[in-house]
Amino acid sequence: MHSERIGKSLSKVIDEQLLSSMSLRDKTLFPIFYMFGITVFLSAIIILFGSITRKRVEDNARIAYERAVLQALPIEMPAGASPVWIHETYQEKIYANNSSSAGALRYFEGDSLRAYALSVEGPGFWAPIKGVIGIDADLRTITGIAFYEQNETPGLGGEIVTDAFRNQFRGKKIAMKGSPLHILSPSTQLDSSSVHAITGATQTSTRLSRFMNEQLSAWRDQMEITK
Amino acid sequence: MQQKTAKDVILTAVWGDNPVFRQILGICSALAVTNLVLNTVVMGAAVMFTTALSGLTVSALRKWTPRVIRMMVEVLIIAFYVILFDQALKAYWPDMSRNLGPYVGLIITNCIIMGRTEAFANANPPMLSFVDGFFSGLGYSLVLISVAFFRELLGMGSLLGIPVPFFSSMLWDRWIIMVMPPGAFFTLAVIVWLARTIQFRKEEKKEGAKR
Repeated sequence: MHSERIGKSLSKVIDEQLLSSMSLRDKTLFPIFYMFGITVFLSAIIILFGSITRKRVEDNARIAYERAVLQALPIEMPAGASPVWIHETYQEKIYANNSSSAGALRYFEGDSLRAYALSVEGPGFWAPIKGVIGIDADLRTITGIAFYEQNETPGLGGEIVTDAFRNQFRGKKIAMKGSPLHILSPSTQLDSSSVHAITGATQTSTRLSRFMNEQLSAWRDQMEITK
Repeated sequence: MQQKTAKDVILTAVWGDNPVFRQILGICSALAVTNLVLNTVVMGAAVMFTTALSGLTVSALRKWTPRVIRMMVEVLIIAFYVILFDQALKAYWPDMSRNLGPYVGLIITNCIIMGRTEAFANANPPMLSFVDGFFSGLGYSLVLISVAFFRELLGMGSLLGIPVPFFSSMLWDRWIIMVMPPGAFFTLAVIVWLARTIQFRKEEKKEGAKR
């Protein structure tokens, strides 16, 4: 009799525990709703933040491109030029390509055509390299080169964005036959259409040289025809 | 079980159980982004941000999260913070965002973060989990920064982009291999070796004292 009572109360306790542990958390559908709720909540925050920053991200990409165009052309750019300065100068001096420029942007100072800016892009060692080459109105002299998108090894192929590498191009002449420019190994003698590659970045140099020359020679030949 | 204090948690996270040289976690990004000190600092900040806040969130939700789906929830929360950081970087520091490329996004799969939420945040209160996450991230960053310190100095002769007198002169022949992936393996191995030797000595001394 006595033991029976203990047994009863014990089963009651177990029942209660079972009930309390069978809370919302253990309902079959709860995990699904829980996951759904959390996903909706977190995604909403990300989408909101993304829409706030989207304009900024697009502007950044635009400015990076405009800066590269100006850097490739013989335009004096103050150190640490602001995005506003870059955008205004670009708006003022750079004109869209037309049939006479074979796909290159045109740079005007007042009414006179000073130079062309040709966009080039192709595969780098890790990711696409995108850049701009400036060519004087004489169609032969390089006014500069700049890159606005690249993901080469920092310290090696990544050095293509440094002044030391880019400044080599300024004043070089496009060869009228064969490949327009040559990127040669650092120990070789240079002529008027060649520059030195970056030590240790053979792949970047080779690939850059390949697509740059392909696109530059296509442009050169087309300009010959229109001229 | 004895309640852990914040101090214990910090010491374990940064030194005793350092994610990189004790647990050998997160090696992939340790190798990828450590050739320039500045990149590494930003990467470390991103990891600290994520481990701390995801620890906090996972711990705050731990009483409601059903056991069966807790890993899905953890990954979701981690991804959330990483994407926020990546978006902020893209919008406000585009140059750095370009430098780090895909590696910020890959923090989601960094085992350190999932490891801390599983091993710690699931069983400890939110603030302590925040501290644990933050300092695990710090322990990770310190190792990465010391790897980057030697790689940038020996490979490029500069630190944070600023030329260092002797190493940037003609007297120093730059070790290009340090900037390339193999350089990371060598440097990391030497650092892990040093750290473990020091730890091992300490442990030996302790045991000697007990006897």
